[in-house]
Amino acid sequence: MNWPQLLVTVLTLGSIFGVVTLSLNLQYARGGMINFGIVAYFAVGAYTYAIFTQPPPQGLDQYKFGFGWPWWTAVIVAGLAALVFAAVTGWPTLRLRGEYLALTTFAFAEVFHSLLLNERRIGNGTVGLARVERPFGDWGPIEEKYVFAGAAALLLVATLLVFRRLLVSPYGRALDAIRDDETAALAAGKPAQKMRRQVFLISAVPVGFAGAVYAMFTTLAQPSLFTAEVTFIVWIALVLGGERSVYGVVLGTAGLVFFEEIVRAWPFETVRSAQIAASVEHVVTGLVFIAVLRYQPFQAAATRLKVSK
Amino acid sequence: MTLPGGAAALNGALLEARHISKRFSGLQAVGGSDGLSFGVDRGAFVGLIGPNGAGKSTTFDLMSGVQTSDTGSVFFNGHDITRSSPDTIAEQGIGRTFQTPRAFESLTVLQNVVAGATSPGESLRWAFGRSWRNHETEIVEAAQAILRRVGLHERAAARVSDLSGGELRMLEVARQLVRDPTVLLLDEPTAGVHPGLQERLAALLQDLHSGGMTLVVVEHNLHFLLALADHILVLADGALLAQGPPADIRADPAVISAYLGGGDAA
Repeated sequence: MNWPQLLVTVLTLGSIFGVVTLSLNLQYARGGMINFGIVAYFAVGAYTYAIFTQPPPQGLDQYKFGFGWPWWTAVIVAGLAALVFAAVTGWPTLRLRGEYLALTTFAFAEVFHSLLLNERRIGNGTVGLARVERPFGDWGPIEEKYVFAGAAALLLVATLLVFRRLLVSPYGRALDAIRDDETAALAAGKPAQKMRRQVFLISAVPVGFAGAVYAMFTTLAQPSLFTAEVTFIVWIALVLGGERSVYGVVLGTAGLVFFEEIVRAWPFETVRSAQIAASVEHVVTGLVFIAVLRYQPFQAAATRLKVSK
Repeated sequence: MTLPGGAAALNGALLEARHISKRFSGLQAVGGSDGLSFGVDRGAFVGLIGPNGAGKSTTFDLMSGVQTSDTGSVFFNGHDITRSSPDTIAEQGIGRTFQTPRAFESLTVLQNVVAGATSPGESLRWAFGRSWRNHETEIVEAAQAILRRVGLHERAAARVSDLSGGELRMLEVARQLVRDPTVLLLDEPTAGVHPGLQERLAALLQDLHSGGMTLVVVEHNLHFLLALADHILVLADGALLAQGPPADIRADPAVISAYLGGGDAA
């Protein structure tokens, strides 16, 4: 088994999804909002990046727009697009609480997914956009995949630092107050509705960035990559890591991605055993989840990290 | 404007309700035939009493924006706050506590009081900077001083879940005091509070009153309230039954028959 390759993939995908989990953690654990449509914001980032970097349509292309912008401007636009998408979807949904918000965000994501599938002028429908620019070449002796993993990790660290900065401030304390008891927080002058909306918008931006990096990594923006499964995987990572700790969230995501990748990368001797492994994967994944939820090793590790600091 | 019970004109009242009412699924909680009207003068210590279900807590909800009145208006400092949100009303200077004490469970006792204050670092623009830290020291010191005042300073680092019911009530008062409100609405502050702490609370309220704070207190413990308040409003079935100084209320036959049940609380 190619361990270095596996680790690089885990670092890259773990960082990309770690950003999404961190944002979800901000929305849920601190903002008290259940977003079951997080994949849509991720997809908005990916598609925006693809559309803004790809060349204009030619030949069999059905998409309408390709701007050929430099990659870094497209990354910024991807973050902004996620922000705008959050503003548009947040306006009607954030009046709702708890499971109602969960259902509405889920519905929004499904509608968006369906739009990507059926409106071919956005991104070729089911075929998707396959000519996504991968900006980093080899850096001297450093191979591209390492540069890429480094860039993804950098995005994760930057997101972590920005969120931390926000949450250790009185702003974070006010968010905790609102989540704990909204009526009491209002009586203490905290504008609950406004702050929830702000958190919803702020947390969408890194998800847009992560979507852009994901599109670079896969060189693909395709509806099949952005199904509700992504939402659930990110939620599972959040629960695994323990929602209260940002380090736990990152560890939980890394652990989950590692497990998925090792099943994928395992060198099976025969086709038959690979087929069996593929079908057993889901069963094993489920069992591992149950075990992790029962013993919460990532959460415990994160708590130790916090205590020893 | 004259009110039932022979009240003086309301003009100049700091906090004023004019014909307010509230119905919950068809049942009148507050209002009576013409809506509920009363005024609270600046610096007054007003007691709001009445049997269970008289509409006392709902009246607080209408004045603090937790509920919106179906009719009429609420004025504070001459401004119509009937439809203002609870957070803007709090920012304007009306503080309140709740019948069932509320607290921020994930924060310590001290942090609960600190969270009661409005810090500049709560705005997004300031949160990413560092200048809110200067204000933070002030807020923490103020919170500590208030915890001492309500007798919770030794519990500052405790978790909220470790507090007794009485301590939770005192914490809620502390969380409002750190905001230095112009008017403080207290909903049954002595319920579940042991006698020692009640004495401390009485002394604190007297102290706040003489410091110029306007107080409106809902209370079932009439011994406690009649000794402190300088004006009593009596509610029955959502309407104002009587109002006046405590001595008059004690002697009012309508109040005695409707509420005091033969004057045993006098």
